[in-house]
Amino acid sequence: MMRIFDRSRRTRLLVALLLSTALVLVTIDFRSHGEGPLESVGRGIMAVIGPLQDAVSHALRPVGNFFAGFTQVPGLKAEVARLERENSLLEQREHQVADIARENEELRQTLGLGRRLDLATTTVRVTGVGPSNFEHTVFIDHGSADGIRKDMPVVAGAGLVGRVVETAPRSARVLLLIDPSSAVAARLSGNGETGLITGSGGGLLPFDLFDPEAKVALTDEVVTSGYQGGVYPPGIPVGTVSKMDPPSGSLSRRVWIRPFVDFTSLDYLLVVTGKGAAR
Amino acid sequence: MIYKRTLLIALLVITGLVIQTSILGEATLGGAKPQLLLVMTVALAMGEGPALGAGFGFTAGLAADLLTGLPVGLTAITYTLVGWAVGTIRAQVQTPSALLPAWMEFTATLAGLLFYGGISLLLGEEAVGGSSLVIHALLAACYSALLTPFLYPVVRGLGARLRPASALR
Repeated sequence: MMRIFDRSRRTRLLVALLLSTALVLVTIDFRSHGEGPLESVGRGIMAVIGPLQDAVSHALRPVGNFFAGFTQVPGLKAEVARLERENSLLEQREHQVADIARENEELRQTLGLGRRLDLATTTVRVTGVGPSNFEHTVFIDHGSADGIRKDMPVVAGAGLVGRVVETAPRSARVLLLIDPSSAVAARLSGNGETGLITGSGGGLLPFDLFDPEAKVALTDEVVTSGYQGGVYPPGIPVGTVSKMDPPSGSLSRRVWIRPFVDFTSLDYLLVVTGKGAAR
Repeated sequence: MIYKRTLLIALLVITGLVIQTSILGEATLGGAKPQLLLVMTVALAMGEGPALGAGFGFTAGLAADLLTGLPVGLTAITYTLVGWAVGTIRAQVQTPSALLPAWMEFTATLAGLLFYGGISLLLGEEAVGGSSLVIHALLAACYSALLTPFLYPVVRGLGARLRPASALR
């Protein structure tokens, strides 16, 4: 009986010790503002599990895809309907493409847009996703030894994905555009109205236009604005305007963006390593 | 013996982290990711008691914390409390029900995520959306319950190897 009592007391003591240690770590982390000893330990853990993630995701990707497909079945029906609508819209637009391409080429030559988007990139593969339900990040198979640095923009074929927030020698962590702590300066490609896109955890992204009387229409394309000193180069496609809140009389106007990138199935990405990338 | 236990716990945590972030990473349920390390913490706490549950929870939570940009230590606090609470409650519950592990996983995940979300909101973390927190926690809890039949026997089997020869639970 006495032994059980002692054991229970020891357990409570252990729990108190662990909780105290965790509270000290919370304090250290808050005071270090992301540049303290805990980040070094985090990079060490990334260095250990990075190659394992790479190997496991490489070998067992079909299994992972099976599980992912299994859990996404309820959403597939709605996705098919949406894609059918998009397909009919695209067919309508196909006839306009040749003319737009010619016009676009002329504008590129005039404004030098081609050079502005001529970015140096490194192709990387996604090896895993962040473990927390409260953060939207992915791990990639390239790190500081491959020239990847913190704050480099990351894009996919369709558009902007996010930026690098942590690097280990052979792996890195990318904060996705949809994470609530993400903020991207952007503009409407049609009329150049600027604003700020913030993450919403998934689905549509809020885009707060600085001009409350800005002219905006559904399906308007949104690209990064790339202001001086910013992380993202200008002109990277982000998404299209999909919903508009009525003007509220506030100092900005909110519209909602459907991102071009499907954040649930990221595989190969490009890290922008050149030009404005490392600023 | 202590070295063997420490090594086994470290291996379990690394294995759990790798599986959670790679194979199961994209398999979300309504946007909720599986909480494999929390499921393992609960399974170990139920089989091996509150001390090991709290110890494993702290280690697993801290490792997960260090792989995110969120405040380091909050997941460790959450998982430590979950491991200790589940181990303590399990010792008081006498039931032959085979559903007990799934219920414990469901309840522990729900309570754990709500606790984590609540503390994060108090600390001003914008990453945790207040309105969707409950729905998110419920979905993650369902996910944990669904994982139980597959993971529970494996983790309990490994947990038995962590048991000292003269253990008195």
